Amino acid sequence: MLGVARGDRAAFTELYHATAPKLLGTILRILQHRGWAEDVLQEVYVSIWQKAEQFDPAKASPITWLVTIARNRAIDRIRSQPAGSRATDNELAQLASSEPDGPASLEAGQTADQLNHCLEQLEKDRRDMVRLAYLNGWSRRELSAHFEQPVNTIKTWLYRALKQLKGCLTS
Amino acid sequence: MTERDDLDMLAAEFVLGTLDAGERASVASRRQRDQELDQLIRHWENLLSPMNDEVVPVAPGPELLPRIERQLDELQARPDSRPKADRKPEAGSTVVTLRNRLRRWQMGTAVAGVAALVLMSVLVWQPAPESRSHVAVFQQNDEQPAFLLSVDLNTRELTLKPVTAKPLEDRSYQLWIKAERLGPKPRSVAVLGDDLTVAADVLQGYDAQLLEQATFGISVEPEGGSPTGQPTGPAIHGYLYPTSERPAGQRL
Repeated sequence: MLGVARGDRAAFTELYHATAPKLLGTILRILQHRGWAEDVLQEVYVSIWQKAEQFDPAKASPITWLVTIARNRAIDRIRSQPAGSRATDNELAQLASSEPDGPASLEAGQTADQLNHCLEQLEKDRRDMVRLAYLNGWSRRELSAHFEQPVNTIKTWLYRALKQLKGCLTS
Repeated sequence: MTERDDLDMLAAEFVLGTLDAGERASVASRRQRDQELDQLIRHWENLLSPMNDEVVPVAPGPELLPRIERQLDELQARPDSRPKADRKPEAGSTVVTLRNRLRRWQMGTAVAGVAALVLMSVLVWQPAPESRSHVAVFQQNDEQPAFLLSVDLNTRELTLKPVTAKPLEDRSYQLWIKAERLGPKPRSVAVLGDDLTVAADVLQGYDAQLLEQATFGISVEPEGGSPTGQPTGPAIHGYLYPTSERPAGQRL
C-alpha cells in the first residue's frame, strides 16, 4: 500500500494480484453481471492508484479500505441504474451458503466472530435484511418487495437492526 | 431520536448501502465537510467490514490488468503542470474555439425537441497558472446558467454548483457523460443530491483525455434517478473548456 502511495507501479501490480479477486467477488455479488463488474473493478483500481496516499493505516486495514472503495463504487453504480429484475433465488441461495460457519480469516478474527455473534442475535428476517443490503447491495425498495413490507417499515426495521447491532458490538 | 442518532443512522445506512442514489450523493458530498459524519461512516465501515469475509473471491480475466495499466500509463504520461512559457492566454480565441467545438447531443428521442433548444456557453476567467481547471456551463436558451461544473484534470475532482437551478419536488437531476470512447449512449455519472451537488470523486474512473473531449448533460429524472439507465427527461448540456488557455494544438 505504501509503495502504491509513492507511485510505485510494481507495488501496484503486486497489490492488484493480491486483492483483485476479493474486490471482484465483492462487486460481482452486488452487480450480478460479469462484464459490468470488471468495468467497475477497473475504475476501482484506477481510483486506488490515485487515492492510495489518502490511506491511513490507523483508521482501517488495507483490505477493508480497498473493499470499501469497491463496495461504494458498485453500490453507486447499481443505484444509478434502473431497478432491474434481480436473480433473487440465486442470491438467496448464495446468502445462505455464505453464512459464516467457522472462525474468520481475512479480517481480524476476533471482530469477525463478534459481528457474527451479534448478527445471530437479530431475528432471522432482520439478519437477512442486513446481509442482503451489505453483501448484495439491495436497496430499501428491493428489500421491501422481497419482505413484502412497505418501504417505511423496512427503514424502521433497518434502524432497529443497526442499533441493536451497534449496541451488541460496542458493549 | 436525537440529532446525533439521526446522523449515526444516516452513516449506518450509507455504509450498509440502502440509501438511494440522491441520498448517497448527498452523504458523500456532506462527509467531505462534516467531520463528525465522516467519522461515523468510518466507524460503521469498521463495524460491518467482517461481513466482507463472506465474499467468495473471483479471479478477474487476464486482460483486465493490462487494461488498467494502459489507463495508468495514460495518466502518468500527462504532465502535472506545464511551463508558463507554454501558455498564451487569449480570451478572444477561447470563445471562437469554443463555438467551433460546441456540440449538441441528444440524450434520448423523448427529449430531442428540448435538446435542440439547448445552448451552451462558457465562462472564461483569469488563468490559474498551476491548475488544469476546466469548466462547463449548463444553460437553457438565453436564461441564466442553471449549473456550473468544473473539473480539475490533474486530480479529476469535480465540483458542480447550482446557479439558478432549484431542487425539484419528487424529481432528481442526474449528471451524464458522453464520449466517443464510451460508446453511443450517455453514461450516468451521478444523481445529484438534495443540495444539487455531487461527490468530488465521481469522475475518478475516467482519464483526463476522455474528460477533456466529453460532453456532459444534466437531465431531470424521476426521484432517485433515471429508471432506465438512460436519460428520460429534459436535458441541458455542457462541454468542458479550460479556464487557463493553452493553444489548441498543444492539448493532448
